[in-house]
Amino acid sequence: MGALACAALLATTMGAAGQAPATTPAARPAGQTPPPVASRFPDIAGMWNGGTRARPMNSENFPWTKTNFPVLNERGQAYMKAFDEAVAPKYDCVPSSSPAIQYDPYYMQVVQWPDRVVMRYEKDDQTRTIWLDGRKPTIHDYSLQGFSVGRYDGNALVVETDHFLFDITGFDDYNGIPSSTLKKVTERYWKENGELKLTLTLEDPLFLREPASYTTRWLPAAPGYQLEAWECDPESSRAPIKMMVPRYK
Amino acid sequence: MTAKRYLLVAAVATVIAAPAIAHHSSGPFYDPTKKVEVKGVVTKLNIRNPHSFLYLDVDEKGKKVEWQVEMGTGAQLARNNLTVETLKPGTEIRVAGQPSRAEGSHGMCCIQLLMKADGTAILRGTVPKEPGR
Repeated sequence: MGALACAALLATTMGAAGQAPATTPAARPAGQTPPPVASRFPDIAGMWNGGTRARPMNSENFPWTKTNFPVLNERGQAYMKAFDEAVAPKYDCVPSSSPAIQYDPYYMQVVQWPDRVVMRYEKDDQTRTIWLDGRKPTIHDYSLQGFSVGRYDGNALVVETDHFLFDITGFDDYNGIPSSTLKKVTERYWKENGELKLTLTLEDPLFLREPASYTTRWLPAAPGYQLEAWECDPESSRAPIKMMVPRYK
Repeated sequence: MTAKRYLLVAAVATVIAAPAIAHHSSGPFYDPTKKVEVKGVVTKLNIRNPHSFLYLDVDEKGKKVEWQVEMGTGAQLARNNLTVETLKPGTEIRVAGQPSRAEGSHGMCCIQLLMKADGTAILRGTVPKEPGR
């Protein structure tokens, strides 16, 4: 589902920003009133601020630091060494993906449904659907954001995502490390003292020797905040390239 | 307009009112250890995502040169009261920031000073280039 279509869907099914719909029509047997959402699973819904008030801005050193920087295999090291900033897809408005988009310093909206959780990112107009109904991915489900399934575990939402496409900057925007179709991202979300916490773990046997992980948080957005459209402009996105000393002729 | 271009060490930042926010993604394109300042005439302001750009014509030894000033997102500019109305074409300005790295290029980012030719401050401090990219 495209970001705009999903936004329209959310707009027609949601009340105030951040409130989860009570149910989906297809999931409710006729004549039965569903229990309140909060009693069925942990409530992490809402509009969340991932800006610099919440955490250090992403960079070469955040969220990946000396202590949690991934251990690259030889292939990963070779790709990183040869990386040329000019080929980064972001300069053509290709959105960032996991594990980077979670740390981009923008707002995120979480909507919980009985059969899915929708995460909508202000950055790059991206929407992820986390399926809770047990469905499996098919060969047609490879995509930039991959295929996500989830479950509730105590007070947390656990999300497992695979079926990513190869991405030359699939690790983050800063270190020139790619990710493969074998990338697997596991996310654990929970609320703590009114904040939304996330521990993300990344596996990719084609580039990493061992899993890498970071933990971050979002703060509650100001009441009434609405996500802004990103509407990336390809011309302005690539405009900085001519300011760079070319690595390759 | 007379172009004036300085290359200074980063210590200059200490005289800037607002501290610079680290933007490592600008590193491949702009040199954070140097500063450049130009005077010119605004030709256009493109407010876009992921970067907005201010263009100005600068007189460099009698030759008109177009400078490209990289700025933040539309929302960031709005929070700094920077709109197309603020920087209309024809406005004479002084602007300072980090110079571009490519030889022969005329660009800057991470604005540290932006004022009209009469000295009226439009902005003092860093406008983030584009957080998160």
